[in-house]
Amino acid sequence: MRRTADKLFTCLAVGAALLAALPLVLIVSAIVWRGLPAVDWRFLTGQVMQVGAAGGVFYNLIGTLILVLTALLVSAPLAVGAALTLGVYLKPGGRAQRWFGLLVYTLNGVPSILFGLFGLIVFVKFFGWGKSWLAGGILLGLMILPTVTVALWERIQSLPRRYIEAAAGLGLTPTQIVWSVILPQSVNGLVTGSLLGLARAAGETAPIMFTATIFAGATWPTGIKESPVLSLPYHIFILAQDSFDPAAGAKIWGAALVLLALVFLLSLLALPARLKIHEEAHHG
Amino acid sequence: MDKPSCCSPAPDAAPVVLETKRLSVRAGERLLLREVNLRISARQVFGIIGPSGAGKSTLLKCLNRLTDLAPNLKVTGDVLYQGNSIYTGNVDVDHVRARIGMLFQQPVVFPQSIVQNVLFGARHLRPLSRREKHELAERALGEAALWHEVKDRLNEPALRLSVGQQQRLCLARALAVDPEIILMDEPTSALDPKSTDAIEELIHRLKELRTIVLVTHNIAQARRVTDWLACVCVRDGGGIVAETACCDTMLTSPQCREVAEYLEHAAP
Amino acid sequence: MPASVARIPVTRWVSYVFAGLIVAFVLGLLTLFAWQSLPVWRHAGLEYLTGRQWFYRHELFGAWSMIWGTVVVAVMALLLAAPLGIGAAVFTVEILPARWRLWVKVPFEMLAGVPSVVYGLLGILYLRNWVYSALTPFDPLSGDTLLTAGVLLAVMILPTVMTLSDDALRSVPAGQRHAARGLGLTRSETVLGVTLPQAAPGLAAALLLAVGRALGEMIAVFLVVGRQDNQPVSWRSLIEAGQTLASKLGGAETNIAYGDPLHWGAMVGLGLVLLAMSAAVTVTGSWLAHRRQT
Repeated sequence: MRRTADKLFTCLAVGAALLAALPLVLIVSAIVWRGLPAVDWRFLTGQVMQVGAAGGVFYNLIGTLILVLTALLVSAPLAVGAALTLGVYLKPGGRAQRWFGLLVYTLNGVPSILFGLFGLIVFVKFFGWGKSWLAGGILLGLMILPTVTVALWERIQSLPRRYIEAAAGLGLTPTQIVWSVILPQSVNGLVTGSLLGLARAAGETAPIMFTATIFAGATWPTGIKESPVLSLPYHIFILAQDSFDPAAGAKIWGAALVLLALVFLLSLLALPARLKIHEEAHHG
Repeated sequence: MDKPSCCSPAPDAAPVVLETKRLSVRAGERLLLREVNLRISARQVFGIIGPSGAGKSTLLKCLNRLTDLAPNLKVTGDVLYQGNSIYTGNVDVDHVRARIGMLFQQPVVFPQSIVQNVLFGARHLRPLSRREKHELAERALGEAALWHEVKDRLNEPALRLSVGQQQRLCLARALAVDPEIILMDEPTSALDPKSTDAIEELIHRLKELRTIVLVTHNIAQARRVTDWLACVCVRDGGGIVAETACCDTMLTSPQCREVAEYLEHAAP
Repeated sequence: MPASVARIPVTRWVSYVFAGLIVAFVLGLLTLFAWQSLPVWRHAGLEYLTGRQWFYRHELFGAWSMIWGTVVVAVMALLLAAPLGIGAAVFTVEILPARWRLWVKVPFEMLAGVPSVVYGLLGILYLRNWVYSALTPFDPLSGDTLLTAGVLLAVMILPTVMTLSDDALRSVPAGQRHAARGLGLTRSETVLGVTLPQAAPGLAAALLLAVGRALGEMIAVFLVVGRQDNQPVSWRSLIEAGQTLASKLGGAETNIAYGDPLHWGAMVGLGLVLLAMSAAVTVTGSWLAHRRQT
């Protein structure tokens, strides 16, 4: 009787796992199957033409890369500062640390559309930038900030105390300890967090749709004001709304595949560092 | 403590309740235990001693197949409980574990009340009425010499008990399932001397009805408590049972060189 | 840390400045939204939240229909994703042999990174039609409904639920499991009696964080929810087109509204409500998740 119940339970768990895996497998297969025919070298290097029905996604890819790179440059220093504040400078368990940590988690819970709304008010209207790649990059950087910060902070927390004590015992100043011991040893966390954050930033549409990107007519950005870029996710978003033109159909899937490949590439790059952290956490 | 000479009645007179045949354990490439052959008779305290890392705990865990839970351990050979192998395909492992209970080095208490802890295993064996539950809890706690200390606070969280009490609670929990054999993996090494005495006293009483297999690194404890001893030593990279003998015999005149060395270096 | 004597610790102060910038941004965001939405609070007061009519040309701003849509869609997603995600996590933690773990965990985590717009695209081309066919007995207008959005969101948050539940289950000490098995409990009895109860706070955190994501999701919901304002708040609305706070904000009205302080205030007000809901859930979830680590 108990054995039957045990077997039933096992079946349910296996069933849940299979059901959970199913839609995700279908998603990736659908995109690959429909998108692959559209992706070739011309697609990757050609411009958008005929409102997406012809041509390629070159400038969309460039635009996304520009936004992502800017996001990295914005978030990395801020994240290092925040993680050092949380992990090194503020008293562990103290009120300041707890409140600041809470604030970082709050930031993580802000829906991405609200970053777009904020950007619309501040960058587009108040600053008068119109649509600008820089606004998009800054907003994306702020959006992924919690991901990068927390990854780095957790890494700093897991550093063995003995490294710091040994350095202090040798007479290093706190600043020297940060730069010679803490940061070099935590670089894994920064890399992992950044790559995961960037993977997310690459695919986001909401923060940039009011503030940084347009559908057609832009190539390389020129300055800061009135300098939008094209982007992959926004491109897909616009085309999806007018869905069924068969000619554009294959191209949308091609764009989706390129975007997915970019996101997966960034996630995969984070993998070796994450595996190492995982390994150290369980056997170190 | 007054202990009858362990060699009378002769251990062969009692039936063999647990036996290992060429039991070996590998972890990946490493050989942890090699060709262990033991015969454990009923209603005695069988001690397993030896240097740390030799494989004593692993050997113990083979006896109720807790080694199944460690994914990297591979067990070959056989363990016979009452003449039947516990490693064949159609054996109900959970049933075996209810007959061969285990006490760990660190008391593992569930985050529930004392009475819920005691009945945790027994509840699953068969449906119990409220009265039966109360009787069972009282009997098990009594057998573990804990009843009088906790009878007024059965519904309090078990984690509030002292470590020594927690270990006796774990013993009561194991006893509630009514096992024939109880495996104990260094049960007193985390306890203070007073709790240690309490547990040793319990072991002495328990063996009247049940069989105890006790792993210990404390030779004095072995001398006080066990009837029969096996010494696990490391030879050629793997743990083997270097010698099995009546407790008095092994501790005063060991046959095996490694055993003699171990006894010399170990704390008396 | 040994005290530094003559030098100014630049690193320390720059770190504080950066941390301060982040604090300023969060507080600034809150303040900005509160300030910009003032006109609508003055105009409509609490009616803004409870009113079911949204006709901006008539200066009627009632967000209740959208709040309903937001909550309903997130709850549907949770009801579908929670059992599947937790069940799948039980599988990977308790049943799957250890060496296959990474092969399962990594793909799932990567799938958590699939962009919303891709989900939206798939929703349009597949899910929408499936829902339309499934709803034929109810004579639907199209496949764009709150239900569609809920199902799509369920698939989106599934990897999140799964990986966070996996972490929660794994954090239950092995000793507890071994003690239960040692008493003769079967594997399922151990999971139900020991592992799940002890992992409960972590599981709750996982679900809260997933819901937080579902509440704020815009793109995918925008594409399949139908974007219909002023729908009645009823159970029937689940199978009809609807609107969530996020999908409203993502629409054309946001740009149109800018010139008119009242209209703009109403739009920003929606953002404020969304922020409150989503942040409350996420913060509680994060707090639960990180509390048990200490």
